[in-house]
Amino acid sequence: MTLTFPFRFAVVLFGEDGTSLGAVPAKRDWEPAHEWTRFYFQRRGQLGLDSDGSASTVIPLWEHTLGEPYCRGYRIQIAVPGGRPVASDFPTTHFRECAAAVASHLVEQKKLREGEFYSYMLVAHPTSQEAPASGGLTVTNASPGVPASDACLQDFLHRATPSGVIDIDDMPVFVSTQVLEQAAEQTHAEQGTETGGILIGKLWRDRAAGEIFAEITAQIPAEHTSGSNAKLTFTPQTWTAADAALRLRRQSEVFLGYWHSHPVREWCKGKACAPEAQQACHLAKDFFSADDKAVMRAAFPRAYSIAIVANDTAFTSLTFSMFGNREGVTQPRGFYVLEDKTHGA
Amino acid sequence: MGNTETTLEIPLEISDVSGQKVFSVANAPAGNTVGELVHEMLGKMNLPRNDASGAPLTYQARLEREGRHLNASERIGDALERGDRLTLQPNIDAGLF
Repeated sequence: MTLTFPFRFAVVLFGEDGTSLGAVPAKRDWEPAHEWTRFYFQRRGQLGLDSDGSASTVIPLWEHTLGEPYCRGYRIQIAVPGGRPVASDFPTTHFRECAAAVASHLVEQKKLREGEFYSYMLVAHPTSQEAPASGGLTVTNASPGVPASDACLQDFLHRATPSGVIDIDDMPVFVSTQVLEQAAEQTHAEQGTETGGILIGKLWRDRAAGEIFAEITAQIPAEHTSGSNAKLTFTPQTWTAADAALRLRRQSEVFLGYWHSHPVREWCKGKACAPEAQQACHLAKDFFSADDKAVMRAAFPRAYSIAIVANDTAFTSLTFSMFGNREGVTQPRGFYVLEDKTHGA
Repeated sequence: MGNTETTLEIPLEISDVSGQKVFSVANAPAGNTVGELVHEMLGKMNLPRNDASGAPLTYQARLEREGRHLNASERIGDALERGDRLTLQPNIDAGLF
């Protein structure tokens, strides 16, 4: 996937009184937004399943009142051979973390007081297209297309129960009951130590509905990991073992993500949290840490990849949260629980 | 005395762990190390070099033909053959932070 940048983006920070504190190049991992855009239009049938999203451009969306160079967001536009380009727009909140990092730096430099209010704006300036550096490796993208086979979405919906908030912008995800039962068993067996597994399954395409959806058919317990009550390390041997297990099944399944447990009751014990505090704690449900996101980014970067967290708290029975790429950001999302995992396409 | 073929560049296929990001390399220099190849391919494949805290991530290259992880110091010309497929596998933490 190739992204081109006809504009150079920067984040400008302003102090409490509106004084500009300076501008820094806008650092952002553009891939999740690019992935989201590509997959969104593949779901709708406006991009082929084998589209690699090449010939994509990141352009600014000018702020309505202030105009250029101030941005109200950015757009990722993907060229469609013989057709109109497709595009998704993204807000300036995608640069909040970048702005926060700059603010921290300014605090260190005593240019901003700790806790002082600040605001930020995104600006963009045209840049000359640099010729790609010569030398180095010559590589071509040989990634497979979206491995979706035909199926009827309604058939799945009829035998599924929704869990969590279903957003119509999200790709529907169906999880076999067996997968959740096995994850629960594994979580309880590990007694307060983080554990997890690799989620595998199939992608289906309903041409009439203009939708692609996922079926999580199984989980492969993650082997060769090391876990504590606050961390689960996936090693190269973990991925090798999961790959071998996937091949052995011979079910034409693909990797769709990973799950892991959050032994919240252990975290609460360690901090001696009161029962009321535990119930209100943001770690108890729908919590996906920066480390958790990093695993997604490194191992399951496609927009159809998802993650499940088993929330093991002291005040309720085990619950599950699902996370996925929505509008270029990993967010909590709803899913469907399937009573049985078999399906004839 | 047998024929000795000197191959200066080796074509390879390199994948991420999901198998959903695959890149063909036309010219991996035989004299370079596997570590150098991995380092350059992380950029080409847009795979993260750092974890959430900014610490460098470690990736191992697994050679499918032999079913083993390559050492970063191994020379491409010694360890790899034309058309070999490598998988870049990170050592990475999920966790509270």
